[in-house]
Amino acid sequence: MIKVEKLNKKFGNNEVLRDISTEIAKGEVVAIIGPSGSGKSTFLRCLNVLETPTSGDIVIDGHHLTDPKTPIQQMRQQIGMVFQHFHLFPHLTVLDNLTYAPIKAKGVKKKVAEEKARELLKKVGLLNKESAFPSSLSGGQKQRVAIARALAMEPELMLFDEPTSALDPEMVKEVLDVMKDLAHSGMTMVVVTHEMGFAREVADRILFLDHGVLLEEGKPADFFSQPKTARAKDFLDKIL
Amino acid sequence: MNLDFGQITPYIPFMIEGIWVTLKFVFVSLIFGFALGTILALFKISHIKPLNWFAIFYTSIFRGTPLILQLMIIYFAIPQLTGYDISPFLSAILAFGLNSAAYISEIIRAGIQAVDKGQTEAAMALGVPYQQMMKDIILPQAMKNILPALMNEVITLTKESALVSTIGYLDLMRRAQVVGADIYRNFEPLLFVGFIYWLMVVGLSMIGRMIERRLKVSD
Repeated sequence: MIKVEKLNKKFGNNEVLRDISTEIAKGEVVAIIGPSGSGKSTFLRCLNVLETPTSGDIVIDGHHLTDPKTPIQQMRQQIGMVFQHFHLFPHLTVLDNLTYAPIKAKGVKKKVAEEKARELLKKVGLLNKESAFPSSLSGGQKQRVAIARALAMEPELMLFDEPTSALDPEMVKEVLDVMKDLAHSGMTMVVVTHEMGFAREVADRILFLDHGVLLEEGKPADFFSQPKTARAKDFLDKIL
Repeated sequence: MNLDFGQITPYIPFMIEGIWVTLKFVFVSLIFGFALGTILALFKISHIKPLNWFAIFYTSIFRGTPLILQLMIIYFAIPQLTGYDISPFLSAILAFGLNSAAYISEIIRAGIQAVDKGQTEAAMALGVPYQQMMKDIILPQAMKNILPALMNEVITLTKESALVSTIGYLDLMRRAQVVGADIYRNFEPLLFVGFIYWLMVVGLSMIGRMIERRLKVSD
């Protein structure tokens, strides 16, 4: 579904991503881990062109994202993204947050969009919050709304950029549970995370990035028990 | 000291009428200035360089020269150039609208840039087109940042509007002068319209605070 070839990203002279190549299959859940500043988030943001790659290619369902002729806007409608800091629309109610993009970007009828939105809110356990404004929600609730907002576009692929890093510890689980359900429903997911438990339990594959290089990839069981590189071993020793 | 407000009593309706005249052109100028200011603000944050340059140049001209000069140029110089006999009302709207657009564009630009970048990214990630995003997501949030500064601009504009008395437009200020010339007493009519200006500004401030409170609903 996704093919990344020799992806490079530079900010000025700073090489953030170096020659990253990988493939992600439909329905696969991939966790990207690595130390801070290793380029995990930048890699993720390249997948929906929030960052423009300096060189290399990303192909999603046959569309080359680096080709200027590719309709990025339409592509993004099929790629949901969840941010560390939620980025809900503060001036819209929870329900409007969910229905806004389907109605305005995809042309879905209001009634249909609202039905779908309520169904999603039910799924993330927030049906009673549909007319609340984001500022009245807890961090965990905000993130669940953000996930529901992304799902409202009925994406084929979901990107998560450290979705639990900004949450109070007791709210991490409620968000991870929603993500687990989503993974089990067959959604293709790419998750940048520091939650090793989640990565080990839910991911089909781990990508380990360090200094912008894809140092290692493999099944969670292998990666966590016997990392191939010294750098990965050192990283795991420090955090586990 | 021999103040005698009794003498201006017959002229009070004449002066009160000036409130409407002043408010009318301040209001129209403001709408004009706000619309043009929004466009200029969008030019300023645009990635298209010539639009940037135009907006910056525009602002520098209209902020860099006296408003009264701009008014005089429009009222006295344009007819000389074009032969079109421009009315005081139209000149006033043009001068104040064009001038306030420069100030308002700066206010709006700052307001837009103060909106969290994550909002743009969230809208982009959802595949929302740029114009939709600006209209529905960014500008409404920018408005909240903008409102206090914008209210300030409205108040300034209301007071500065007295400048149009110099081109013979019968606003509140001009009416005070007319009455003063009529009864050979200036203090009373000037004090009277001064009081009215103050009331208008107090009223505007109150409306501003009311709108601000209503916009705070989502906080």
